[in-house]
Amino acid sequence: MGMMNQPTALEHILITTKVEKIINWSRATSVWPMTFGLACCAIEMMAAGASRFDFDRFGAGIFRATPRQSDLMIVAGTVTYKMAPIIKLLYDQMPEPKWVIALGSCATAGGPFDSYHTIQGVDKVVPVDVYIPGCPPRPESLIYGFMKLQDKIMASSMADRYKEIFEAVV
Amino acid sequence: MFKNEEMEINMGPQHPSTHGVLRLKLKLDGEIIRHCRPVIGYLHRGVEKICENKTFFQGQVWTDRMDYCSAVANNLGWAEAVEKLFGITVPRRAKYIRTMLNEYNRLASHLIWLATHALDIGAMTVFLYAFREREAVLDLFEAFCGARLTTTAFRIGGLREDLPPGFEKMARTFQARFLACIDEYETLLTENRIWKKRTIGVGILKADDAIAMGVTGPVLRAAGVPYDIRKAFPYAAYDEMEFAIPTKPEADTYARYLVRLEEMRQSHRIINQCLDGLPEGPVMAKLPKILRAEVNEVYHPTECPKGELGYYLVGEKGSTNPYRFHVRAPGFINLQALPMMVEGTLVADVIATIGTLDVVLGEIDR
Amino acid sequence: MENNPNSEPETQAGPCAYDLKAAPNRQVVLPKTVPLPSLKLWRAEQEAAAAAEAAKWQKTLADYEAAKAKAEAEGKDAPKPPVRPVAKPDANDMKFPAPAPATDPDLLRLQEVLGDKVEEAFQQAGELTCQVAREAVQEALRLCRDDDALHYEMLADETATHYPAAKDFAFSVVYHLTSIRRRKRMRLRILIPDGFEPDTATTVYPTANWLEREVWDMLGIRFSGHPDMTRILCPEGWEGHALRKEYPVLGLGQREIDFREDRSGMLNRRALEKAGFQSLNLNPPKAE
Repeated sequence: MGMMNQPTALEHILITTKVEKIINWSRATSVWPMTFGLACCAIEMMAAGASRFDFDRFGAGIFRATPRQSDLMIVAGTVTYKMAPIIKLLYDQMPEPKWVIALGSCATAGGPFDSYHTIQGVDKVVPVDVYIPGCPPRPESLIYGFMKLQDKIMASSMADRYKEIFEAVV
Repeated sequence: MFKNEEMEINMGPQHPSTHGVLRLKLKLDGEIIRHCRPVIGYLHRGVEKICENKTFFQGQVWTDRMDYCSAVANNLGWAEAVEKLFGITVPRRAKYIRTMLNEYNRLASHLIWLATHALDIGAMTVFLYAFREREAVLDLFEAFCGARLTTTAFRIGGLREDLPPGFEKMARTFQARFLACIDEYETLLTENRIWKKRTIGVGILKADDAIAMGVTGPVLRAAGVPYDIRKAFPYAAYDEMEFAIPTKPEADTYARYLVRLEEMRQSHRIINQCLDGLPEGPVMAKLPKILRAEVNEVYHPTECPKGELGYYLVGEKGSTNPYRFHVRAPGFINLQALPMMVEGTLVADVIATIGTLDVVLGEIDR
Repeated sequence: MENNPNSEPETQAGPCAYDLKAAPNRQVVLPKTVPLPSLKLWRAEQEAAAAAEAAKWQKTLADYEAAKAKAEAEGKDAPKPPVRPVAKPDANDMKFPAPAPATDPDLLRLQEVLGDKVEEAFQQAGELTCQVAREAVQEALRLCRDDDALHYEMLADETATHYPAAKDFAFSVVYHLTSIRRRKRMRLRILIPDGFEPDTATTVYPTANWLEREVWDMLGIRFSGHPDMTRILCPEGWEGHALRKEYPVLGLGQREIDFREDRSGMLNRRALEKAGFQSLNLNPPKAE
């Protein structure tokens, strides 16, 4: 019937949705990354944050130096044996909810460095949400990967997240 | 009543201003540093060992990733070292193009230095302006070899192919507007009271100490020693180029800042000469498909934007791989001088000093 | 390493099965030759090659004479006379730089002052190389730095190479010196057996501090008199010296770490809580 399709007076000023969706939307559009550039990919991360490929327009322009105030750890560069426990410590210091992007081939799978001191991928140390291959990936790739992470955050459910974190213990 | 103890803190591998994974163990007395000990090795990837199993053609790929801010300079060093090992002569046109790309790389590296150094000290605008120019230089690299950062631009014996059409037009457009950009950075920083207060008299390394510690590059030139490998031991086409070596006597951070800005202007001058005087001819020497070495060892020094980058190669008879590959990284040697420059100064000066040394942990740790 | 769930399986399923164990860059191949550039060795090699070529030519001639005599005896035509093979001119832009005897005044000065401590001096590829006796290295470096005719103010690089196939020595330690004022470079070299500790260069050139630490870390050569002989690139407790030829590229299994059981950090936190580390300081303050 015609009356069902016309908006009522209240719908001009009210949106009804789930609380979870609002929380996910606010988390996805204000992800604050931590400055964690290890190697060459850090330069491309800086270029992504600089003038031409502005990262700030996604709400993620504020790179926090301390893990205690950040949501996202972009592991940009090679993970070595000496650095691995430090990465784990930094990941533990980040408060929930937290996400990890593995930027570049080195963080994904060790990259071109198949040697005695290189860990073949940061996912042996911390759980990774988005992998961005490339050596180094262009800033556009980083932005695409970040948008995929935003999609993942928007689609995530708080109950599943809680179970995921504590499944090792429960 | 109050005990006055030294506090040991860790300026850890994850720090916004340490330009990579550098760890400094500082013993502080209030804000003054009594003792500083750098701990490196957090990016040690075993490049020297890896390249012992790769051929001379393949080894260039790993050289990009050592000093990742100036990949083309690393590639040039490798190509020239292998050519010296085998006694290969490179055509003149290839030498000119290599020189031009090397100088563009010097611009790109100095722009990153300026951006991060200024960002550490607090001038965030310069970061955005410098990266705007750097994107234009990276467009040129991408037009030539397809990659922005880790270029693998050269081949043993010359170049893979000639300059693409439209490269010269892009380069000349960039050249026309670049000097005005350096002037723009100067208006922001050179007479800025805050910049001068944070950099004059900070991180002093006099000439005698610098030579004793083996420090080269802009750090040595800002101490008054006019030593530039492009003039002292010319390679590529530098013996045909006309340029000046900027030096300053004060040997502090402000002097190094002025020296590097002047170096950018001289690079601009060299690129103009390369573009104007580019000779015709082939760009690749005639080589066998497989390069088998004879017993020989070479040490080939080049002037990287950070200092003297030396490649040491030992060839084994009949082998396609280097027997030993060693890189004399300028950052490794320059970082040794950091405790000398920093003990007795304040914590904030450490940040300025690391920025002015222009260290890249990729080449330090290899 | 096979029991570790982390290491790659020997054969992989899927469209492309890569045999990783047989990958060429993962094999440990001990070198059989000693690629130490040396004028004496090169001359010996050239003479041996010339002698072998001459002997082969004599044998070809003798064979030809014998075949000719046999053909004449049987009444057949004489075989073709042999032609001495000439080296084909190489069309490549490549000319190997051969070592030449020392004519440079710097090398002559070193030979003059140090006498028989200089074991060898030659020039190759535009570079000067001088090999000194291993006990005299500090004296040679001091001479290079302080002598007015030499004046090598800066140590550019110090590194070492492992030669497992050599009999009298195991490593060569190489010092690259630069003279800024005279625009000259030189290489000093010593050959040392395994276990020998050369004198440190830090008393002459303070640059050598970290360079010698790196040589210790990578190759296991200690330098006597060094102020701080610890590992610099690999972590403190690392076993093995990476750039030795018998050390595999993949290492001795140290890189197979796995923190996957404790991804969330909860197991660590529970363990700490059980051990009594409270996140809040609920203990009464203790007097100092």
